[in-house]
Amino acid sequence: MSAPHFAGFIRARPWLHRLVQPVANWYANAAAYRQLGLRADDLISEEDETVLKALKRLDEKTSYDRVYRMRRATQLSLQQKILPKAEWTKPEEDTPYLEPLIAEIIAEQKERAALDNLEIIKSH
Amino acid sequence: MISRSALTRGSQLALRRPNAAQRGFAAVASPKASYEPTDIAGVKVASRDDNGPVTRLAVVAKAGTRYEPLPGLTVGLEEFAFKNTQKRSALRITREAELLGGQLTSYHTREALVLQANFLREDLPYFAELLAEVISQTRYTTFEFNEEVEQLIHLKQKRISAASIALDAAHSVAFHTGLGAPLYPTADTPVASYLNEHSVAAFAEAAYTKPNIAVVADGASQAGLAKWIELFKDVPTSSQGQLNTASAKYYGGEQRVAKTGTNSYVVAFPGASLKDPKPETAVLVGLLGGASSIKWSPGFTLLSKATAAAPGAVAQATNYAYSDAGLFTIQVTGSAGAVRKATEEAVKSLKSVVEGSVAKEDLVKAIAKAKFDLLSGSETSGTGLVHAGANLIAGGSPLKVAETVKALESVTADSLKAAAKALLEGKASVAAVGDLHVLPFAEDLGLKV
Repeated sequence: MSAPHFAGFIRARPWLHRLVQPVANWYANAAAYRQLGLRADDLISEEDETVLKALKRLDEKTSYDRVYRMRRATQLSLQQKILPKAEWTKPEEDTPYLEPLIAEIIAEQKERAALDNLEIIKSH
Repeated sequence: MISRSALTRGSQLALRRPNAAQRGFAAVASPKASYEPTDIAGVKVASRDDNGPVTRLAVVAKAGTRYEPLPGLTVGLEEFAFKNTQKRSALRITREAELLGGQLTSYHTREALVLQANFLREDLPYFAELLAEVISQTRYTTFEFNEEVEQLIHLKQKRISAASIALDAAHSVAFHTGLGAPLYPTADTPVASYLNEHSVAAFAEAAYTKPNIAVVADGASQAGLAKWIELFKDVPTSSQGQLNTASAKYYGGEQRVAKTGTNSYVVAFPGASLKDPKPETAVLVGLLGGASSIKWSPGFTLLSKATAAAPGAVAQATNYAYSDAGLFTIQVTGSAGAVRKATEEAVKSLKSVVEGSVAKEDLVKAIAKAKFDLLSGSETSGTGLVHAGANLIAGGSPLKVAETVKALESVTADSLKAAAKALLEGKASVAAVGDLHVLPFAEDLGLKV
């Protein structure tokens, strides 16, 4: 799962968002996963029950594409290469596809925990 | 002249019972037997109120296996009931229902899909809202289909018995398509290419519209219903989707299915429908019977006498009534040899009815049994509720219990004889499931197929 972040906090304040956005773009490009043709959600660690469940809920095409990107990146990493610039992941392609599913599963878990620890106050 | 002591005694009694207006469950005078049809906010409603502490509220939708455009959609829609909706999760629905002490069930017949909630009388607003939400706002998510719906269908397919396969086969030869569609597709039925969350969602859109649903309430007050059925206003009034609404036609024929394990044999004839509840058929069902209603005795019914000679077999006569057709069945289940013997005896006993060798007191008993079945069926939860709903969505009105009872009393030995003769002269639908080396052909039994 992803580390704690302030994305929501920043997005809620347009002036801060405008200020931070260029830094974020620079960081995403400097992280160099786009040069290997990966998307940000490909970097989420799989060693986690929640992520494994979310991966199972991906549709077939998305799941296949994800595996393809990862195999390509592994191969590039072995060969100490990066993709030709035309094939780099474009910022507009770099959209979250796994994050929403993970968020949904976490919400489910939270709801279950809340219902399990429910205190009933009788109104009559 | 009113004596003084009588007056005093009455007032004493009244004082001793402070809540004389709030009578207990057992004290209620006479519950209404029939469901009263009404129309609330464009939704067909049938209701009956016996002032009991428990309410049964059901949405009966025109989404039984008869109306499914592709095989398996009805069971898919049934399993998708009470899953995630736009407003709340399946888990929340379950837990909230548990907290209120309610029960949520979904089941289907050949004609209707029923979403039912049983709950305490005062919780009507919650459950009315829940049912409205389930039929109009379920999300039909992919992951629920893969993780829950499909798995449950596979589990239920493992439990399909020889008896239900035989009944499905009899319906199939009797009606071909529509009513002939299996009630539950077996594991060997190729439904995977038709059944997915998208096709189920499309079917739900076609089926859950105001003309195609009926809300049946048992034990809810009229005022409460008038107020809370309003919550169904979000249900669409029409839809682009198509249901398979071809009318039923009787064909007849024979089908034999090899299967290990229990054997089952069904002999079926055209029976009474909901539109045309022939009283003779109900009395014939009572006369042929099957299960004994008293202990330590086979009882008077012809089928229990037939199975007495073939231990290990159970025979039962039933009339499956649908909106525009019916199927009168004699079903025998058990070990192969016993089923063969009992079936031969059963057909012989049906022929004996045609020959007019039914004792007079047996006819009286059969009419009494038919009356009891009708009244107890309309009283207890299951059949009455589903029948009322099925009648409404088919455009009819709920069963008039008192009138039907009168019709049953008018059956005579001659009319019964004529009805049985008409059955045997027509084409039968015969299904054999099990050890086909032993089970007889319809020809051997002297039936026309």
